Amino acid sequence: MLRWLRHLCTGCCLGLALAVVAQPMPTQVVIVSSEASASYTQVNTALIDALARAGVPKTVIVLLSPSELAQRAKEGRLGLTRIFVAVGARATQALLAIDPSAPVLSTLIPRQSFAQLLQSSGRKTSARLSVLYLDQPLRRQISLIQLALPQARKVGILLGPNSVGKLPELIALAQDRGMTLRQTQVTGEQPLFEALRVALDGSDVLLALADPTVFNSTSIQNILLSSFRLRVPMVAFSPAYTRAGAVLSLYSSPEQMGVQTAHLVLAAWRSGSLPELPVEPDDFLVDVNTNVARALGLALDGAALRLALRRQEYRP
Amino acid sequence: MLGAQPAPSVSESDYLADVPIVLSVSRLPQRLDETPGAMTLIDREFIRQSGARDVVDVLRLVPGFQTSSAFEADAPQANYHGSFSVYSARIQVLIDGRSVYSNYLFGSVAPGLMSVALDDIERIEVFRGSNSATYGARAMLGVVNIVTRSAAESPGLRASVRSGENGIQDTQLSLGWQALGSAMHLSVDQRGDDGLTGSNGHNRVQRANFNAELPVAPDAQLELHTGWMQIDAGRGFASNLNAPLRETGYNSAFLQLDWKKAVDSQQDMAFDFVHMQESFVDVSSFALPAPFFSVDLDYSGVASNDSLKFEAMRRLSSDVRYVWGTELRRESVTSRPIYNTDNAIVTNFTRLFSNVEWRATPQLLINAGGMAEHNSLSGASFSPRLMLNWTAAPGHTWRVGVARAFRPPSVFEKQGNIRYVAKGTLLQITTLARGQVQPESVLTRELGYLAELDWLRSQLDVRVYNDAVHGFIQSVPYALPTAGSLLASNPRDYFNGENFSIRGVEAQWQAHPWAGARIGMNFERSQMVRDEAQIIDPDLEASVPRSAYTVSLMQQLPGGWQLAVNQRYLDTVTLPSTSNYRGSISRTDLSLSKSLHWGSYRGDIALIVQNAGGNVLDYGKAFAFPQRAFVTLRVQD
Repeated sequence: MLRWLRHLCTGCCLGLALAVVAQPMPTQVVIVSSEASASYTQVNTALIDALARAGVPKTVIVLLSPSELAQRAKEGRLGLTRIFVAVGARATQALLAIDPSAPVLSTLIPRQSFAQLLQSSGRKTSARLSVLYLDQPLRRQISLIQLALPQARKVGILLGPNSVGKLPELIALAQDRGMTLRQTQVTGEQPLFEALRVALDGSDVLLALADPTVFNSTSIQNILLSSFRLRVPMVAFSPAYTRAGAVLSLYSSPEQMGVQTAHLVLAAWRSGSLPELPVEPDDFLVDVNTNVARALGLALDGAALRLALRRQEYRP
Repeated sequence: MLGAQPAPSVSESDYLADVPIVLSVSRLPQRLDETPGAMTLIDREFIRQSGARDVVDVLRLVPGFQTSSAFEADAPQANYHGSFSVYSARIQVLIDGRSVYSNYLFGSVAPGLMSVALDDIERIEVFRGSNSATYGARAMLGVVNIVTRSAAESPGLRASVRSGENGIQDTQLSLGWQALGSAMHLSVDQRGDDGLTGSNGHNRVQRANFNAELPVAPDAQLELHTGWMQIDAGRGFASNLNAPLRETGYNSAFLQLDWKKAVDSQQDMAFDFVHMQESFVDVSSFALPAPFFSVDLDYSGVASNDSLKFEAMRRLSSDVRYVWGTELRRESVTSRPIYNTDNAIVTNFTRLFSNVEWRATPQLLINAGGMAEHNSLSGASFSPRLMLNWTAAPGHTWRVGVARAFRPPSVFEKQGNIRYVAKGTLLQITTLARGQVQPESVLTRELGYLAELDWLRSQLDVRVYNDAVHGFIQSVPYALPTAGSLLASNPRDYFNGENFSIRGVEAQWQAHPWAGARIGMNFERSQMVRDEAQIIDPDLEASVPRSAYTVSLMQQLPGGWQLAVNQRYLDTVTLPSTSNYRGSISRTDLSLSKSLHWGSYRGDIALIVQNAGGNVLDYGKAFAFPQRAFVTLRVQD
């Protein structure tokens, strides 16, 4: 009889163990992706792979669209989540709407876009709500200008409603580095070419800051043609602009954003909270349009410029 | 603001989205050290400071050029490497890519050079050397490429007034605005003076030019250019049957459409359409002594041309770039007085061209190209060009190359038929071309050196050349049996005459030594070399000046003042209309200007003295370019 009992206990223990093992692992990381297109997929894949390399199994990570998130929130299936990652503005908005109890890390989102979402939801960044901005730090952009165009003194800038907030910091940075700004504001009502003429007049370089009122697929033709005619090189914020004709662009690739997001997630788990202040992108790329550069008499090497910038920031 | 659209907010899509290609291959101009030949670049600042009133005045300062300000041959002329007749037919002139060569009579670039106001020009690129491989036949000795100011870059109102001695009265008004998402620009002007002293050449030119740049798609642009010009000028000499004192009129109008598209960052293409028409009115009568009645003279007629062109440029790799294209062109001339028929004489051209630019080694750039052309009047020709640019050290480039170019005979040289008639009676036939003449050709060999120097921040360009001209088109009278005309006729026929070489050296040095200063110096020597046994026209040699130099100095002074001086000297030249004159020409121009500001308006006022040294013969021994002073006032908002 004792033998039968022992078998029963072993069987029950085994069964219990199996049951425990067969149970799906609770979802600990929820990534909400604003869209399913190429760039977002690259961010998501890089994020998931980086977490996996650090020991976080893919089984505890789930990837949702904003509508799927809303559905699960309604069904109350998000209780065990340890961290939410919002990739893009739409995902951030969706997460803020469901107001989860777990911390939220927003990534791949411009500074101004995140600020507007905070304002409309009445929230602030804290240990439970943080962000990794897509915009490059302004000091890095000015450093790139100084490295690539050491003779440049006057920086032309076209500001729109979404980028005008950066002006005070730019003015301070420029003064610090011995440069002057030549800024004009574009409101979308008066013609662009007048503002462009003022910004380009006497400038050594045109620094582009993302703002759809200023830089869009219609205005870019005018801007690039005019700046090229006046032999003013343009430093832009995405590789698409370099292909279009900007001499230089400084940006963080989707992969780099994904990897840095993973590091932030892991650091948050170790320390128990997200960084209280917004985080700026760490790693970046520098693209050069060699044809346009040569036409302007410039010899630039994107990889070398990136390395020089990294060294300036004390990074390998 | 009530009803205003809220500004679109930024999102990550601004960083991630694709953007249409704008600065594609053909929009990137060649660097000077990669150009397959010697280029002289004249920018707006230089034009403004030179005190010039016409494009011809500016070309005067380019090495190798000879100019005339007379209106005797329709308009002031510019010639490169020799002024062989009163008409300049051996250079090509383009405005925004459109050929303005007039094929009415002998062929001439003069009316074209006059068709755009100086203030509307952004820059002038002068290619010194044969370039039929790129610009087709007629780019026999050189090319002048005029680029006008883009409509998008000249917004607002501009006005200028000029007045002074020699009856100078010029006014210009231009306006740039945006409509339908496109930039538009309209310029209207009038310019006139009393002409050369001793001549009947009082003249007035009226022009209107309209440009629009329409972005039809994110990666394509449509450019529209249209314009009109009227030249009214007196011409002629007292007691000269061939060119009596009279009033003449010239009118031209054109429409140009260019569609440019960037296929991707490495290739783009363009379609161009041009229609141009001209009309010449030149009627007079010459009184003969009794018992003859007066002779009716008429050189009036109309001409037009239509052209359709396709061009594609592609960068294959970082070392190879090529362009290819094709053009269909139709030229038509109608003039009963000149061709003795009311039918339009039509010439059709078909062209196929290509040029490959290959950076064979980091120091060696090879340009190889050619144009195959068929013209219904003269048959087929092929103009190849090979140029090697070798960068011996950074900032020092050597050029060596060879090119062949052609000038097909003009309609007049093939079919000219001029008769002098009095009261319906045929007096004499003065020109009766027999149509045997073939294109004249030139084989140009050159060696060039271009250096960027630290010394005074200057640039030096030296060109040594040998233009071997073959079958130079000349005219010779031949006996014609009286056959119905009152007087014996010895009409002129055009045939391929002498072969000769023009060889020489041109050096151009330009410096920006210190802020606000420009110094330029040109030096030229040239001569014609020919076989003594073959000489038909002993005076032909004088068409090529023996030596020439130019000095130009421009300095900005405090208080917005600016001073400019330019001096040009040519030695042993002849005059376009006379063969038995040998002399030198020296002309100095001075300009003193001050920039002005009133509120949102800015401008400048300038005092210019042209030909400060005193009378200079021009066109004929009886004509002279006077010393004249005038004031120009320019205002813009």
